[in-house]
Amino acid sequence: MPRKNKPVAALKKYSCPYCRETFDAFEAIKSHILTGHPTESLPEPEGIIHLTINGQKYKFQVEPDWTLHYLIHDRLGLTGTKLMCDRGACGSCTVIVNGRPVLSCMMLAIECNGRQIETVEGIAASNHPLIEEYVKHHCMQCGYCTPGFVVTAKALLDRTLDPTEHEIREALGGNLCRCGTYPQHPKAILEAAKLLREAGTR
Amino acid sequence: MRKFAHIAPRTIEEAVSALQRYGDRASIIAGGTDILGKMKDEILPKYPEALINIKTIPGLEFLKEEAGVLRIGPLVRLEDLAKEPRIREKYAALAQAASRTASPHLREMGTLGGNLCQDIRCWYYRNPANRFPCLRKGGGRCYAIEGDNRYHSIMGGSVEGGCYAVHPSDTAPALIALSAEIITSKRTLKAEDLFQVDIEKTTVLDSDEIITEIQVPRPAPGSKSAFLKFAIRKSIDFPIVNCAAGIAITAGKVKAARICLNAIAVKPYRAVKAEKAILKQRVNEQSAEAAGNAALSEAKPMERNGYMVQIARVLVKRAILACRE
Repeated sequence: MPRKNKPVAALKKYSCPYCRETFDAFEAIKSHILTGHPTESLPEPEGIIHLTINGQKYKFQVEPDWTLHYLIHDRLGLTGTKLMCDRGACGSCTVIVNGRPVLSCMMLAIECNGRQIETVEGIAASNHPLIEEYVKHHCMQCGYCTPGFVVTAKALLDRTLDPTEHEIREALGGNLCRCGTYPQHPKAILEAAKLLREAGTR
Repeated sequence: MRKFAHIAPRTIEEAVSALQRYGDRASIIAGGTDILGKMKDEILPKYPEALINIKTIPGLEFLKEEAGVLRIGPLVRLEDLAKEPRIREKYAALAQAASRTASPHLREMGTLGGNLCQDIRCWYYRNPANRFPCLRKGGGRCYAIEGDNRYHSIMGGSVEGGCYAVHPSDTAPALIALSAEIITSKRTLKAEDLFQVDIEKTTVLDSDEIITEIQVPRPAPGSKSAFLKFAIRKSIDFPIVNCAAGIAITAGKVKAARICLNAIAVKPYRAVKAEKAILKQRVNEQSAEAAGNAALSEAKPMERNGYMVQIARVLVKRAILACRE
C-alpha cells in the first residue's frame, strides 16, 4: 500500500485577516486592505465564539479541542446534559442545535459559532409538558439517560405535534437506557403531544 | 482530546491549500462523528496536527434535481436525505440507506460525503491507544486473520496487504446500485471506483482532495430500488451485511439490474453474478433466490464469519424481491 508524496505548496508571507487573500509583499497587502477593507472592524481572534444557549447570548473563548459538551457542562455549569460513552453511541449528551437533536460530545465548541442551543435546563424552565408527563409516567429510575431522552423528545415534538408511536420509537433510537425504562417513554411523549395540541387549539 | 489546530476555510481552494500544507498530518472534519471518535480513542499511530473544518465552506449542502440528475452536496446530512420525499420516492435505496444509518442524532450530524469516506470499524484497528498496530496502519500483520473475525470479510482480504476489514457504509452500496458518480476537487469517479484499501483510509482520494458533489442519474422509468440492512440492533449499529438493488423491469422481465452488497468485503461488493443471474428473468422467489446464491458462490468465509454468507444470500434475494412492482 504505497504512500503518495505531495510537494508542499509555497506559502505566501502575508494573509489578509478579513478575506484571507495572500500576498508576498507588505506594500501589496497594505494597499489591498486600505482599498478593499477600509471600514471593516478587525475580525475576532480565533477561538472566540458567540452562542445562544436557552435563549441567552454568550461569548466564549474556547480551545479547539473542547467539545460542545465540555463547554456547556464543565465551563458553563449546565450539568443537566450528561456524558456517558463520549463516543456518540448513547445519546445522553443530546442537545438541540439550530433545531436538530445532536450529540454534544461529538461536536467541537469552536465549530458552533452563531448557533442556537437548547439544553434540558431550558426545556424545564419553559415548563414544557414533557417534564410533567415524564414524571407521571415514571420514565426514569436512575435518571441519567433522562435529559437525553427529554431533549430528543422535545426536538421531535418541535417538528410534529402528532407523532405516531412508531415515529416516537424511531426518533428515540439513539438514546440508551440501562435501567430499562423504554416502555414508558412513548406513553409520556404521546400524552405530552396531546397536551401541546390542545394548548395550541385553545 | 490532545491539542490540535482548527482551521476554518471559507472556500474549497483554501481547504485544499491547507491540506497541501499539512500533507497527511491534518484531517478533514465534516460531521465529526467518525474523526472525533478516532481522536478520542487515539487509535492511530499519529494524531492529527490540525482539523480542516469543511463545514465553514458555503455551498456544499445543496440538494437539487437538474436535467435528470440528482445533485447532492457532500455536506448534506443523512437525516435530510432520509426524509426528503423526492428521494424516498425516486431514489428509494438511497433514502432507505440513509434512514438506517447509525442513530437519528448521528444522522442529524453525519454527512453523505463523510459516510462514504468513513474509516473501517475493525475492532483491532479501533482498539484505543493503537493497541494493535495492524497492517491497515502501516504495521506488519492483520490480527483478524487468527483472531475474532466474526464481522470481517467473507470475500477474502485485500489483494496486496491482506487486510480483512469490511467497509461499513450503508449509503455506499445504495449509491453504487443507483449508478452514482462522485465529483471531487480533482476528478470525477464512478461510485464503485471511490473505494480502495489503503493505509488509514478507505478511498482513492489524495490527502488534499475533497468530495464536492455526488450525482445520481434519474432512474429509468419502470425502475425501482431498495436497500436492506442486517444488524443486531435496529438503530445505532453498523451493518453486519447490507444490500442495495436497483432493478428495471420491462414487460415483466428484468431489463437491467445493479446489486451491491457491503460490509461483507473490503470494499463495497457489486454482485455481478447475481445481476447476470436475474437479467432477462421474471422476478419471483426462485429467480431471486438463485441470484442470491450466485452472488455468494465465491465466498471465502473466515473461521468465525460463515454465518454472514447465508445472510448475504437472503438479503440479495429480498432486495431483488423488494424491487418488483
